[in-house]
Amino acid sequence: MCGNEALAEAAIIAGCDAYFGYPITPQNEITAYMSRRMAEEGRVFVQSESELAAINMVFGASATGKRAMTSSSSPGISLMQEGISYLAGAELPAVVVNVMRGGPGLGNIAPSQADYFQATRGGGHGDYRTIVFGPSTVQEVADCMQLAFDLADQYRMTAVVLADGFLGQMMEPVVLEKKPGRKLPPKDWALTGAKARPQNIVRSLWLPEGSLEELNHKLQAKYDRVQADEVVCEQYDTEDADVVVVAYGVAARIARSAVNKARHEGIRAGLIRPITLWPFPTEQISMAADELRIFLTVEMSNGQMVEDVKLAVNGKAPVLFHGRPGGGVPTVEEILERIRQLSIPRRVRTA
Amino acid sequence: MGNIDIAWCPGCGNFAILKALKAALAELEIEPGRLVLVSGIGQAAKIPHYLRANVFNGLHGRGLPAATAIKAANPSLTVIAESGDGDMYGEGGNHLVHTIRRNPDITNIVHDNMVYGLTKGQASPTSRLGFKTPVQVAGVLLEPFNPLAVAIALNAGFVARAFSGDAEQTKEIIKRAVLHKGYALVDILQPCVSFNKLNTYQWFKENCYYLEEAHDASDRNEAFKRSTEEGKLPLGVFYLDPGRKSFEESTVAYREDKRPLYERDVDMERLGSLIEKFKGAF
Repeated sequence: MCGNEALAEAAIIAGCDAYFGYPITPQNEITAYMSRRMAEEGRVFVQSESELAAINMVFGASATGKRAMTSSSSPGISLMQEGISYLAGAELPAVVVNVMRGGPGLGNIAPSQADYFQATRGGGHGDYRTIVFGPSTVQEVADCMQLAFDLADQYRMTAVVLADGFLGQMMEPVVLEKKPGRKLPPKDWALTGAKARPQNIVRSLWLPEGSLEELNHKLQAKYDRVQADEVVCEQYDTEDADVVVVAYGVAARIARSAVNKARHEGIRAGLIRPITLWPFPTEQISMAADELRIFLTVEMSNGQMVEDVKLAVNGKAPVLFHGRPGGGVPTVEEILERIRQLSIPRRVRTA
Repeated sequence: MGNIDIAWCPGCGNFAILKALKAALAELEIEPGRLVLVSGIGQAAKIPHYLRANVFNGLHGRGLPAATAIKAANPSLTVIAESGDGDMYGEGGNHLVHTIRRNPDITNIVHDNMVYGLTKGQASPTSRLGFKTPVQVAGVLLEPFNPLAVAIALNAGFVARAFSGDAEQTKEIIKRAVLHKGYALVDILQPCVSFNKLNTYQWFKENCYYLEEAHDASDRNEAFKRSTEEGKLPLGVFYLDPGRKSFEESTVAYREDKRPLYERDVDMERLGSLIEKFKGAF
C-alpha cells in the first residue's frame, strides 16, 4: 500500500466518521481512497469546493462530537490555518494530514519538510498549539493516525500528521489493525441537542475583559500536560555517539543509513528521531547534550527543526545543520560526509 | 516560443483555445507588451506560459482579484484572467461573484472541461450529474454550476459560451469579449481527453448548438432563460450590455485623471499640504 492509502485506511479503523478534502497533488490517493471506503462504511465523505470549505466542514462535524479529518498538501494547508486557529479557540478535536510538498507559494510537487514551522508554531493566529507527528515509514504513518484521533479527542486539540510526498507515494508492507484506544473523556461539550441539559455553545469569541486571557491560561495548562506526557521519540545508537544526528520523517530514514555507514567506518554516530514534533523531545535532546558530543540536524528545508534542537541543547554542545530546500532530498553520502567531518575532533583527541 | 515544452496531453482542448486566443489577439493588434495574462492553478492556468506576453500566475482560485488590481493600477493594459472551471468556479467562486459585481474592464476566459485535469480526474463544479470518477464513485450528485446563468443574474456586461472545437467562433467571441468595456465572461467548453471520458469531442458536437442569429442579446430575461435551458447547450453571446460603467471608470483615482498611476508624478503641493495637516495634529 502507498502511504496515502495506508493512512486513509488507518483513519477509518481509528473511527473517522467524516472526511472532507479538495484535490491537490501529492495526496489525491487519500481523497480517492476515502471516497470509496467511507461510502462502504456508511460514513461521510465530501469533496469540498476549496480547502477553506474542507477545514470548516471539519470544524462543523467536530462540533457535533464526531471524529472528523481533512487532508491536503502544503498550499492547501496554508489556506486551512484560519480554521485551525478557530478550532484551537473553540477547543475542538480535529485531525489534519499534510503531505508536504516544496514551497513557498505553489512551489513544486516534490517531497519537502518546509512546513515544520507552520505545523509546530501554530500556523494561524493566536496563542495555540497543535499536536504534530512526523512519521518516517508507511507503517508509522498508519500507526500515528489512531494516536492522532485519540490525542485530538483527549486534549480537544488539532492533531497534524506531517507526512511528505515520498511517504504519501511510496509503497511498503503495512499491518493495519485496531489497537486498544485510550480511555477518553466524554464529549459533553458536543452539539448533540440540548434536550434535558443546558445548551452547549461552540465559539472562539471571548470579549469580556479578562475572559480571553483566562482561556489562554487554560489552553496553556493543557499544552503543558501534552508536553509532559505525550512526547514520542526514538533514540538509535546514541549512547556512546560522538555525533548525534537529529532528523524526522523521510530525512531520518536517510540519516539512519548514514549513521549505519559511519558506524561501519568506526565513527561513533547515532540518531535521535522525534516522532512527535510538537510536543518536541526537548528533554531527551537536552540529556543527550550533557555528554560531550556534536549535533547535526538534517532536514528537507533550509533549517526549521534545527531551532528546536538548539533550544533543547541550550548552548551545551555545537548544533550544526544540513538541509536541502525546495523539494531537494539529502543523500546518504552527503550526510555521511558531514558526520565524517564532525567526528574528526574526537578521533584526534582519543588518538 | 518554439522551444517551450507544452505540458498538455496530445489532443487536449487547451491547444485549440491557445490557438484561438493567439489569433484573436493578433487580429486585434494587441501588443504583447500591453497585455497581461493572469491565471491561477490547473492545466488551463498554464496557458499564459505559452504566449509571449506579461504573465501573472498566482494562487489557485485567486486570479480575478489580482487581475482586478492589475487593471486598476494600470488601466492602459489589456488584462485577461484565464483559467479552468475548478479554479474559477470552485476555489475562486466567491471572487467570481464579486468581480462581476465590481465590473473591472477585464476579460475572463474559463476553460470548461467539466473535470479536474491537473489532479487527475476528480469532478469539478461543472461536472454533469452522474459523472463517475475515482472520487465520485457513485457519480456526481451535485447540481452542475451554471456560470452563464450566474453571470447574467449578476448583470455581467458580456456573457458568452464557446466550444474549443469551433476555432473560428471561439476566436470571434474572444475578440468581442476583449473589446467589451467591463467584465466579460467567456466560458469555453473543451474536452479533457485523459480524464473526462463522458464529455468528449463527440459529446460536445452532439450536445451543443448555436444560438440563433435572431437571439436578442440585450434581453436579459431571454438570456437567462437560454442559459438555463434543459438539454443541449447553446453556444454564442448570450447577453450583452455595453452601457455599464467599469470599475476603473467609477473609481475615484481615475475620475479626473485618466493616466495610469505609474505615469503620474507626485503632486508636491498636495503632499506639502498633507504634511502640514499632520504637523498640526501632533
